[in-house]
Amino acid sequence: MAGSSMQDIKRRVKSVTNIEHITNAMKLVSASKLRRAKVTFEKTGEYFHFVTESIEDIFNNSADIPVKYLEGNREIKTTCYIVVTSNRGLCGSFNSNVIKQAEAEIKADPEAPVIVAVGSKGRDYFLKRGYDICGEYMLPPENIAFIETHDVSSPIIEQYVEGKIDEVMMIYTSFVSTLEQRVKTVRLLPFDIKRDPEVTPLEKQVEYEPSIEDVFNYLVPKYVEIMIYSAIVESATCEHAARRMAMENATDNANNMIADLTLFYNRARQAAITSEITEIVSGADALK
Amino acid sequence: MAKTIRLDIITPERLFYRGEIELVIARTLSGDEGFMANHTWACKLLATGELWIQEAGSKDFRIAAITGGFIDIKEKFTIFTDAAEWPDEIDVERAMKSELRAKEWLQEHSRDVLNAELMSEAKRDILKSHTRVNVAGGGARRKK
Repeated sequence: MAGSSMQDIKRRVKSVTNIEHITNAMKLVSASKLRRAKVTFEKTGEYFHFVTESIEDIFNNSADIPVKYLEGNREIKTTCYIVVTSNRGLCGSFNSNVIKQAEAEIKADPEAPVIVAVGSKGRDYFLKRGYDICGEYMLPPENIAFIETHDVSSPIIEQYVEGKIDEVMMIYTSFVSTLEQRVKTVRLLPFDIKRDPEVTPLEKQVEYEPSIEDVFNYLVPKYVEIMIYSAIVESATCEHAARRMAMENATDNANNMIADLTLFYNRARQAAITSEITEIVSGADALK
Repeated sequence: MAKTIRLDIITPERLFYRGEIELVIARTLSGDEGFMANHTWACKLLATGELWIQEAGSKDFRIAAITGGFIDIKEKFTIFTDAAEWPDEIDVERAMKSELRAKEWLQEHSRDVLNAELMSEAKRDILKSHTRVNVAGGGARRKK
């Protein structure tokens, strides 16, 4: 009896050790991917403010800008939700956090939602629960190019301009630090901008070509595109950070388990030896 | 020497260029236009095309291919574009191929009126690839 349980424990130690090797390797891979993703993420953040500034500039300096992108131009009925998740699992609660928040938002909305899924995890979840997915983007987000995000953003902007959707919300994971990621919900459209009375108008006349409306109509969709692009990049960074953490925890747990199992194994072995000795001694005693 | 001004060229992915320049020629929606220091403040949309930059103290132009965007002319110049490339970054063969492909596609579908959007996309593709080939070859028009 003791022999078979020892065998069992030995087998378990072996399998846990194998798992530990795998999680440890995945941790290292995620760590290096995280480093690369972080570089891209930091770069995109640096220039993003430029477009926002230009929009504000125009807004503060002219009276006759088109209202179709601005808040309050029409009643908000249909809302489009962009849910940014990952394509792969094994990254802790990364995807479920995003999905949970997205679902809460969608359930709170009385109208039928329009869901755009970035990443297969979010798409699968909402498909299973009978939601319509009107757009999806499945390529790996690590080395996505800005042009590629057009596939996501341009249909959204089109539908907004056509009036099929009245609001665009994006739910994604924002990067706080390598140890902390937070799910964020931001509104992309309509554009929420207030006329700031403190901003002094530019001292010189600015020439807009072809016209101020055209420039503004170019900038706002661009803003949406860049927001979506940077969210995808940021979410990819978070995915790697989350996976690294998850794999680190898994490795730690595996190591603890191996330590415990080794202890049990030694105990069982000692018990087997003791019982054997007792048997021999009692056998020898019986012969006397 | 002409007065110089700071120029930043920004794409969503990177800071493409930053430096002191004398003259930058960009293709606005109404045609090529050159900007020098002390230009009237302006904000203009750019078409897909070549971008010529004359750096401070240099006689030669640096050329880049850009895909749409806008130029902001204030105390400094800022160009924001979806994508920008120097000649040495351009894969000429690939650009030629994609130009050819887009042209073929356009010929096949020229009677297809329903696909106006795809058509304009193909035309944009042709323009983009054409610009890239030109830029890689030193620009469509040479400076005299």
